[in-house]
Amino acid sequence: MSKELIRLRNLCMAYDDELVLDNLNLYINDKEFLTLLGPSGCGKTTTLRMIGGFATPTSGDVLFDGVRINDVPPHQRQINTVFQKYALFPHLNVFENVAFGLRMQRRPDPSDASGKRKLKIPEEEIRTRVLEMLESVSLKGFENRRTDALSGGQQQRVAIARALVNRPKVLLLDEPLGALDLKLRKDMQIELKRIQQQVGITFIYVTHDQEEALTMSDTIVVMDKGSIQQIGTPEDIYNEPKNAFVADFIGESNIIDGVMLQDNLVQMYGRKFPCLDGGFKENEPVDVVIRPEDIDIVPVEQGQLTGTVTSVTFKGMQYDIIVDFRGFKWLIQTTDHSPAGARIGIKIDPDGIHVMKKSQYSGMFGDYSSFSDEYDELDAAEPSEEESGDEK
Amino acid sequence: MKRRNSALSRVFTALVFVFLYAPIFLLIIFSFNAGNSNIVWSGFSLNWYRELLHNRLILRSVYTTLLVSLLATAIATFAGTFAAIGFYSLRRRQRNLLNTVNNIPMMNADIVTGVAMCLFFVAFFGLWSDFANWFNGVQHFIELPSRLTLGFGTLLIAHVAFNIPYVILSVGPKLRQMDKNLVDAAQDLGCTWMQAFWKVILPEIKPGIVSGALTAFTMSVDDFIISYFTAGSSSSTLAMTIYGMTKKRVTPEINAVSTLLFVTVLLLLVITNLREARLERMGADAPRRSRTAERIAMAFSTPKGRWIQRGGAGVLAAGFLTAIILLTGATNSHPVVNVCSWGEYIDEELITQFEEETGIAVNYQTAESNEALYSLLKSGAGDYDVIVPSDYMISQLIEEDMLEKLDYGNIPNFSLISERFRNLPYDPQNEYTVPYAWGTVGIIYNTTMVDEPITSWDAMFDSRYQGEVLMFRNSRDAMATALLKLGYSLNTTDEAELREAFQLLQDAKSRGVYQSFVMDEIFQKLEGANAAVGAYYAGDYISMLENNEDLALVIPEEGSNWFMDAMCVLKDAPHKEEAEVWMNFIASTEANLANMDFIGYASPNEEALAQYPAYYEELYGEPLDPEIYEIMAVPQEILDKCEAYLVLPAETRKLYNDLWTELGI
Repeated sequence: MSKELIRLRNLCMAYDDELVLDNLNLYINDKEFLTLLGPSGCGKTTTLRMIGGFATPTSGDVLFDGVRINDVPPHQRQINTVFQKYALFPHLNVFENVAFGLRMQRRPDPSDASGKRKLKIPEEEIRTRVLEMLESVSLKGFENRRTDALSGGQQQRVAIARALVNRPKVLLLDEPLGALDLKLRKDMQIELKRIQQQVGITFIYVTHDQEEALTMSDTIVVMDKGSIQQIGTPEDIYNEPKNAFVADFIGESNIIDGVMLQDNLVQMYGRKFPCLDGGFKENEPVDVVIRPEDIDIVPVEQGQLTGTVTSVTFKGMQYDIIVDFRGFKWLIQTTDHSPAGARIGIKIDPDGIHVMKKSQYSGMFGDYSSFSDEYDELDAAEPSEEESGDEK
Repeated sequence: MKRRNSALSRVFTALVFVFLYAPIFLLIIFSFNAGNSNIVWSGFSLNWYRELLHNRLILRSVYTTLLVSLLATAIATFAGTFAAIGFYSLRRRQRNLLNTVNNIPMMNADIVTGVAMCLFFVAFFGLWSDFANWFNGVQHFIELPSRLTLGFGTLLIAHVAFNIPYVILSVGPKLRQMDKNLVDAAQDLGCTWMQAFWKVILPEIKPGIVSGALTAFTMSVDDFIISYFTAGSSSSTLAMTIYGMTKKRVTPEINAVSTLLFVTVLLLLVITNLREARLERMGADAPRRSRTAERIAMAFSTPKGRWIQRGGAGVLAAGFLTAIILLTGATNSHPVVNVCSWGEYIDEELITQFEEETGIAVNYQTAESNEALYSLLKSGAGDYDVIVPSDYMISQLIEEDMLEKLDYGNIPNFSLISERFRNLPYDPQNEYTVPYAWGTVGIIYNTTMVDEPITSWDAMFDSRYQGEVLMFRNSRDAMATALLKLGYSLNTTDEAELREAFQLLQDAKSRGVYQSFVMDEIFQKLEGANAAVGAYYAGDYISMLENNEDLALVIPEEGSNWFMDAMCVLKDAPHKEEAEVWMNFIASTEANLANMDFIGYASPNEEALAQYPAYYEELYGEPLDPEIYEIMAVPQEILDKCEAYLVLPAETRKLYNDLWTELGI
């Protein structure tokens, strides 16, 4: 990634005393594909609207290329947007929709020395650029169609073409794939990434779909409650979640209370597990994340822990198995079938264990009890003597 | 079972439609009647439509109606559209509240809106005049007009006010249907908010604006009640003019103009509905535009086409502005006189002639009755210059200091008024009035429906004519018939005499003598032989006779009421000078002859009265029936037996009111 293009500094936004953005700091590099990811109401769309100029922060700055642009209206920013549900102009056909921005543009007249006189873009150039753009989004020949006669995916591409034809430095995308069906969405994810690489500009993408974020992004910004929870590459975010919220929001996670005995050794259920994390205080209480696919099912006698299978769901590539470990339910994804009611042992490799500091989200996520009907065992999450006895 | 049900329901539906549309079809059919009756078909003709083109009252009010409707529609569409956008940008709760407030004027009874607006304007004018007087007093650079009156301006304001809610109601949903992000998208692509409005919002909500404007225009053209209260004396919309014309009887000319109005409104509705249907279809399955439409659209979207579009819009706008300038010029630069008289009470040629001769424009309005005129004047809405009330009302107006003394030096033709019609009891020194026309009340009856000629007021109370008698629907005239039968004075204040007369009326009513209590409906009823006997004004008998030869008139032997309508000028009338020019013109022998011929009432001008038979013969090529002449201009010996109304003291007026209420009409 090259130089920094956009910087958000101490951004706050309040609607009616309700804090929507809380002291947000973020920089975005040129040519980067950055995703703002979070549940609805986390402030990601508000952040995007501030970059686009549709909302003004209550306090803090938006910098573009080092210049503060808080008060620059949207039509003067070198930024274009692909809106939720596309916001195509229904009274214009495909061609005119795409040409809209070019028709609005004025550029200095080269023959006017003072540079004050502005000229429209010649019709010829508009035509060429629009047709080129339509071709690059695979909509050649659709110029005279009404936009409401297009499929969702085609409308989507018109919206992208309409924004990109203006050659912006940044393209903002506000949940652009939300209205598409699953198959189309997957295709468009790849298509979007391709387009981004082709035009070589910054994409800022807002979504609540973690899979979309993982697929396309160079950088993911996970947000919740108006604050950034974690910034990182998709791999970082997935493998090294900063807290229980991120761990839960990105992929599936079992989050277990643990105690960091020393570097590379964490204790759960009264049992010691070797891991690869360090830098905690001695005996510091921590949250331990174990991804469902990192758990191996082994015969009871070989298991680091033993539990009872409470439910099994066939998912095609794997089985989703809910296992009860002393009242705390884990999700395990495995290709081996274990029938409900079976006693199983599990084994976790050190690199399958990720230790996080305790946060405001501790204890809120990571339990799969709702998968089974044995809620009453929740209270008995303390390690029981006889079971630990069985293990040793 | 099922089939019979569906047949029944079909019959029922058909009946509903017949009920709804039959009257309108009847009206349309009779607008093509060659004769002037609404009952007898005498062949197809477009005469009445041709007549319309020469009726200056109608043409003028069509012009007023179109102008006020177009202007009000344009202003209301503009204001309503932006109001709707304002509403749209509010939060839901505020928006719902405002929408409710917006809906109230539409649901409100027009009469309430009309009266309220009238009161508002009059109250404002009062405040304004105080302010203007003060302002003109403290400085002398700018002279503010201190006297504002109801007129085209107030009419326009009222129309704009009642039109705006319809525009908001029709634009609002279009805005809510619009994708919220469209404006953002336009701004994102380089538009300022205003550009986004023109390029994106406007095309999106255009269907709503157009149907709002069409609705507003229809409402404006249609409106009668609110216009009636806010137009004042100087403007009259088509609906108001039609209403004024129906006072006497529904002539085929009214049928013709009503037909045109109906067709206009129908066309507008059809256009609106077709538009909506088309838009809905487009929304449903989004077909492409037809080839021709596509080609036209393409043609207009070329640069040259866009210039044509702009040129067209420019021409329209210029035309519109010119119309406004012409209108304001027309109303401001020419002297004006505002006249309020009765329906069909002038030969309209005279108005044209007067305007051509003097350059003074005449705003000619009509009132329904002396009492209606009185309450209009009292409310402040009737700011006329000249009114033509009847004798007793004149004395009441003089008593209440509502009339201006005349300068008879400006009315030389007053000398032509017969000595016997000067210094009458209502204006003993003749300081306020110039007599206009006079007549008597008589009994009109259908000779084929009675056994023997009627000679006495007894007929009005006679059980032999049970269900066939038409009685006046106003207390003074109705009580007069009873007082005349009893031999009492028409101006008696004796409560016993009045109660006796009332008893007579009530008794006859309970015996079922009266078919109904009527005013100008009597024309239709007697002409159509729907009733046998009715008391009315002798002058009107002559026009009834033209439609039914079996009718006869008698001034009963007990005597009768005679009346004089005279022109007066209202106190502080803004155009007193012009008013006197008008009165002088009307008092001339030529004008009196024309009026006498047109309205059938006698002229107070001695020359005109004497010359009328010769005038008639010259005009129609046949001599005037002396009997008819005698009915129009009752000989002095019969007139001597007749009594004119005087204004009654307040307590007697109250007694009249109470008795009339007790009679329960």
